[in-house]
Amino acid sequence: MTVVRIGAAPEAFEATGLYFDGDTAIGDLARVTVDEAIRALKIARIGAPPLHWPLDALRLLPDQGGGDLVILHRRDDPVARLILDDALLLERLPDVRRPAPLVNRGRLAAWALAAVASVALIVFALVPALANQMANFIPPEGERALGAATLEQIRGALDETGMGQPVAFCETPQGRAALETIRSRLAPGLPAGQEISVHVLDHEMINAFVLPGGYVVFFRGLLQAAESPEEVAAVFAHELGHVVSRDPTRHALRSAGSIGVLGLLFGDFAGGALVLLLAEQLIEASYSREAEAAADAFARDLLLDTGITPAALGSFFDRLRRTYGEAEGFLAHFTSHPALSERILAAETDLPPGFAARPVLGDAEWRALQTICN
Amino acid sequence: MPETSAWEKASPGAGGPALATPAAAQDAPSHTEDWPPRGSYASPSPPDSLAIDFVGRRRAVFWLALKTGCLTVLTLGLYRFWMKTRLRRWYWSATRPGGTPLEYVGDPYEKLLGFLIAVVILAFYIGVVNLALMFVSFSLFQQNYAAYALSFLGVIPLWFYARYRARRYVLARTRWRGVRFGMAPGAWGYVWRAMMHWAITLLSLGLLWPRMTFWLEKYRTDRTYFGNARLTQGGRWTMLYRATWPLLAALLLGGLGSALALGAGRGEGYTLILAAWGLAAYGYVYYRVETTRLLANHKSAMGLALTARPKPFRILMITVLGTLATALVLALPLGLLGFGVALVQFAQTEVMQEFGELGALLAALPRPLLVALGVALYFAIFLLWATFTHAWVTMPTWRHYATTLTIHNPAALSRVSQRARDEFQEAEGFAEALDLGASI
Repeated sequence: MTVVRIGAAPEAFEATGLYFDGDTAIGDLARVTVDEAIRALKIARIGAPPLHWPLDALRLLPDQGGGDLVILHRRDDPVARLILDDALLLERLPDVRRPAPLVNRGRLAAWALAAVASVALIVFALVPALANQMANFIPPEGERALGAATLEQIRGALDETGMGQPVAFCETPQGRAALETIRSRLAPGLPAGQEISVHVLDHEMINAFVLPGGYVVFFRGLLQAAESPEEVAAVFAHELGHVVSRDPTRHALRSAGSIGVLGLLFGDFAGGALVLLLAEQLIEASYSREAEAAADAFARDLLLDTGITPAALGSFFDRLRRTYGEAEGFLAHFTSHPALSERILAAETDLPPGFAARPVLGDAEWRALQTICN
Repeated sequence: MPETSAWEKASPGAGGPALATPAAAQDAPSHTEDWPPRGSYASPSPPDSLAIDFVGRRRAVFWLALKTGCLTVLTLGLYRFWMKTRLRRWYWSATRPGGTPLEYVGDPYEKLLGFLIAVVILAFYIGVVNLALMFVSFSLFQQNYAAYALSFLGVIPLWFYARYRARRYVLARTRWRGVRFGMAPGAWGYVWRAMMHWAITLLSLGLLWPRMTFWLEKYRTDRTYFGNARLTQGGRWTMLYRATWPLLAALLLGGLGSALALGAGRGEGYTLILAAWGLAAYGYVYYRVETTRLLANHKSAMGLALTARPKPFRILMITVLGTLATALVLALPLGLLGFGVALVQFAQTEVMQEFGELGALLAALPRPLLVALGVALYFAIFLLWATFTHAWVTMPTWRHYATTLTIHNPAALSRVSQRARDEFQEAEGFAEALDLGASI
């Protein structure tokens, strides 16, 4: 092969360098030249045969402070270093800035994948399985304490003033009394010993949720969007269905486990966002289709037993869906409702014979409930 | 011959290789007087000691930190392993004992892997152990403080473990003159010693703090190597009491102030207490710097020795002024930006509708845009804070420690030879996952 050179041959390069062989801590002075014939850097030292480093195997150490020294190494030699104090040579080394990985990155990638898979296994399999087991064994007092602690967290996270002021409870005496009327109307359908605390939060979200230990929480937005006390009672009954099946306890334990892991992954960088995520998770609790269907079935029986028409629940959601669409903040766990329970709730036709609906609240009580936050 | 080149000084009378003609030396690209640095190659008259130069500039580290910080934010934190690697390369290469730079050879991919390994183990701990603790805590005590306390106690050993492992990783990836540093494994030994020493220090109300400082440093130093040369921590723990006098003085002053405040002179008492707090802050820095100095002066390896002369007051000033300057620089633009965001948020409430066109205009801004602005602001604060403190605190502190250190008897380096690579898959993953990142 003939190499055709255009223009003058490159100028001879010569420099005094400092060579470290990667074994001893005393360097060698080196006379460094470029041998164009064999495309190599010649490193001549006293008392040692000269070294020839192929020009295209030379790599430069990156991110050097000072900017006055050029440190070169061979791509295939992890330790030997040649230090020059001028950058003139670099122009002749086209590959000098290409990477020269020290470690086997293929193996690293395999390990990394295994690590990610293990974290996923912990978060999505181990923690939920454990949480489900624990939810069955946690004593009632413990469950209530868990619910109380979670409620405080949610109130803090929903704060919109940015002042760390938790969202207020709504408790005008007449409103509380109306709420109590609904609670006691539904209470007979609950298992013995099941405590229920009901709260209203001063927030415009159209939503309601349950927390461990029988905490049922309505947002002001839902009370105002409802058109009759029957609709509120129907939502109440559905939420009680979750209480009885201990869905929120499982859910709270599960997110307590997995949120911590997520915090670990993202570092304190996103610490604030995580608290929000936690709150979101608990409010927008999307339980499984089976859990929703079970809660609906429970609600239907409870409403029938207490003389309230179960159709109120279905009609309420249909109306909300028509008015607001599937907007966020609107009972997310109802928007994913199973088709089966739509039928259960809409079925006015299969009301048992002899069913007579009794009103839930009087007009004055109903107004008091809707203005409980004033 | 106008000038003797370093080449000839190194080989008097040897004639050198064929290339070494004086003419060639003169035509070669211009060299500074001290290149290659004296003592970095074999010569008949090696220097008695090596000073440590630091050649980095604030501007350079500022841009490097800003650039890599931006990438870290844009990649949701993934780039932080590259950021750390690149900044370390910079700091290391700017630090030049005897004129030859340190080299940092850590790899960002191994840091990422180490982090993931640590996350698997910690995910198990946080996910499963914490869940169990919370269950027990709620079941038995009806609150979660017991779980938090136990969980925190459980992390303490891990914290010391991570510290030791991180140090081992950094040393294993540090080289000078092509020779690796290293640290022998011993993280669990460090864990129980550190916990014992902390217990003793707390039980003695801090009186035995120097004892802990000394023995923990001795444990780490005695396991540290440069090539085949093992470092030894000499001296006695009682020598560190010298570093405690400003703290003791602050205690005395505070006691005096309290006595006065309780008794007759109220105003004088509070002034004294305030002065005592100031003195205590200085005392803490003084203790850290002085113990580092005393301990360095008693370190040796294969005939090599160190002299350190860092100034506590200088370090205090760098920290205080650097942090203040950063806060000032950040306060202005971020204050304005924050005010703007607050104004717009306010405009979205009903009150602002009355303010006419401007109010209406601001109210019309879409909410996602505001959220994005807020998030950007949040990250900008983090990013700029880290960047400015690199330029104004970390780098000057590092430079002060480096340039006030001297290595004695460099002739002993001729006996040092290379050590094997410490593979160390897990890198500094635990320290990263537990956020013990320190500054670099």
